[in-house]
Amino acid sequence: MIQLMDVHKTFTVKDKKTRMKKRIEAVKGLSLTVKPGEIYGLLGPNGAGKSTTLRMIAGLMQADLGRIEVCGIDNRVEPEKARGMVGYLSTDLNVYARFTPRELLRLFGEFQGVDAKVAERRGMHLLEKLQLLDFADVKMEGFSGGQKQKVSIARALLHDPKVVIFDEPTTGLDVLTAKTVLDLLRIMRSEGRSVIVSTHVMPMVDEICDRVGIIFDGALHGDAPPKQMLESWGVKTLDEVFFKLAAQSAVEV
Amino acid sequence: MRGALLVCKKEFMELSKDRKTMFFTFLMPLILYPLLFTMMGKLSQSDAASRKGKPSRVQVLDPGQVVAPLLRADAKAFEIVAAPPGDVKQAIRDQKLEMLLEVDAEAAAKLERQQTFGLKATYDKSDDSSKLALSRLKEVMTKQDKGWVQARLKALGASTDLAVPSRLETADAGDMGLFVGKLLGGILPYILMLIMFAGSMQHGIYATAGEKERGTLLSLLSTSLPRNQIIWGKLLYVFSIGLISALINLLSMGLSIGRMFTAEASHGAATAATGAQGMGSLAALANPLILGLTFLLMVPLGLLFANFIVMMGIQAKNTVEAGTAIMPGFMVVMVMAVFSMAPGIEKLAFLPYVPILNVSLAIRKLFSQQGNALEYAIAFVMTVGLAGTLTWLSTRLLNRESALFTV
Repeated sequence: MIQLMDVHKTFTVKDKKTRMKKRIEAVKGLSLTVKPGEIYGLLGPNGAGKSTTLRMIAGLMQADLGRIEVCGIDNRVEPEKARGMVGYLSTDLNVYARFTPRELLRLFGEFQGVDAKVAERRGMHLLEKLQLLDFADVKMEGFSGGQKQKVSIARALLHDPKVVIFDEPTTGLDVLTAKTVLDLLRIMRSEGRSVIVSTHVMPMVDEICDRVGIIFDGALHGDAPPKQMLESWGVKTLDEVFFKLAAQSAVEV
Repeated sequence: MRGALLVCKKEFMELSKDRKTMFFTFLMPLILYPLLFTMMGKLSQSDAASRKGKPSRVQVLDPGQVVAPLLRADAKAFEIVAAPPGDVKQAIRDQKLEMLLEVDAEAAAKLERQQTFGLKATYDKSDDSSKLALSRLKEVMTKQDKGWVQARLKALGASTDLAVPSRLETADAGDMGLFVGKLLGGILPYILMLIMFAGSMQHGIYATAGEKERGTLLSLLSTSLPRNQIIWGKLLYVFSIGLISALINLLSMGLSIGRMFTAEASHGAATAATGAQGMGSLAALANPLILGLTFLLMVPLGLLFANFIVMMGIQAKNTVEAGTAIMPGFMVVMVMAVFSMAPGIEKLAFLPYVPILNVSLAIRKLFSQQGNALEYAIAFVMTVGLAGTLTWLSTRLLNRESALFTV
């Protein structure tokens, strides 16, 4: 279970033109809940605040205001415990290329406090599911982007997290690899995990998400199953929701 | 602490996968110094031997033939050569001959009249062969002068002791161990500081800004490892590399220099005794207490350097920025290291209170057997305090989102 309650996040950035520091509110009073056995799609254009929200849930960033709970644990009060519940994957993340997938998984198993034998068994099982078992003992220096992404997925799931956060999980992947990732997400849902994904790929949302939330300019605009979302906005595709939001935002400005 | 050890293990595992870096960090010093010092020793030996074995080429202008026969008689030391074409001074600089000797034209007559005659030697002060020619001439002339004086005294019927009112004898009261200790104590802090800093700098950058640049730091931070343990693990790694580098370099350098001294001492019979005494004194310096206390000071110093490198590395966006940020620190350490070698700096009253330099001073005094417990304690406590402060700062920095993310 993931719970965000009135979460705010502000960054201080330097304006290159004026050379003055200014504050940007990246997330404005966001509240949402992802139940166990549910895939939640967090949608939004670039810079809307998706990655910041996911990083806050993963415990990589702290909210300025509000409360984030992962499996009932406040991630500000018990950050390590909360992070232990989360499997986080992002396109910003890379693998330690000097290691083989087996070595990397063994090491991350130790970091997450997983028994060595369990980590080995679970790591190899994940690599098999991701069709990467044949490369378990090959140095990752020569791996393609897709292969590295698969190892990252295995790394994120190695400690059997109750909460899975995938930020743009299929970006840069070929159709076959993307399908493997989506199948894995479905398995995780069936295993009762709370899954939250951010993506630009709308067909993927239709295919796997039980509920979607559209984030625009740091605020959540709607939180409903995909079909209900379309009906409420009176549009046929989720892309159109973005266009409407952008138009609204322009009028407000 | 388990998390810190795991992170440190991860860093060493990464290092072990890079054979080239492993070679240059750990094996290169073991090969380089013996090779360098053996070559230096051999070159200096063969150069000295070749100079000593060859007669000095001297052009002699001696119309009275007073000195020329003396040189001609010592064919092993001198070879009388004809005037070279062109300027003689240029010929000496071009090493076509070692010396020009001009003897007073009236030398024979002056000798006869029991007067003093003059000699003028033109040589190149910057050339060892030319200097050897002059020293050989001085040796011959001193011996000959003594003979002439004795002959004159004899002719006068006076005692030969007339020209020698006193005879000075010298005895060395110095301790060779102390001398070598002072020498070593002056150089050692310089070597330790530079190697510890330079040896760990690149590894520190790789483990901090490098991780950010490669996009691996976030995966490490997303684990349940506490942030402070991640930073401590990286510190431990950078510190260990610095310390290992310093120890390997020192060991290799020490053994190579020792070997070179022994070889040089055994090469020349006259210096063998001195060399053996020096080596004996060096061995005496291997006092476990001195070495232990020096090592104890190296620990906080290494931690201080590691902290600075990690702190700068974490703040930097990439490895280039980290390198640029760390370089001024390296320059400061280098200047301090050079300053610490200056003779007489131990007399400066404020030195025990200057960080880094006080460590250098304490090591210097330990090796010259003038160790001061209070100064040692000040240096130790101050360095530990500084290292601890920087560790605290580094940990805080790793928690700063602006240091981790480019917003």
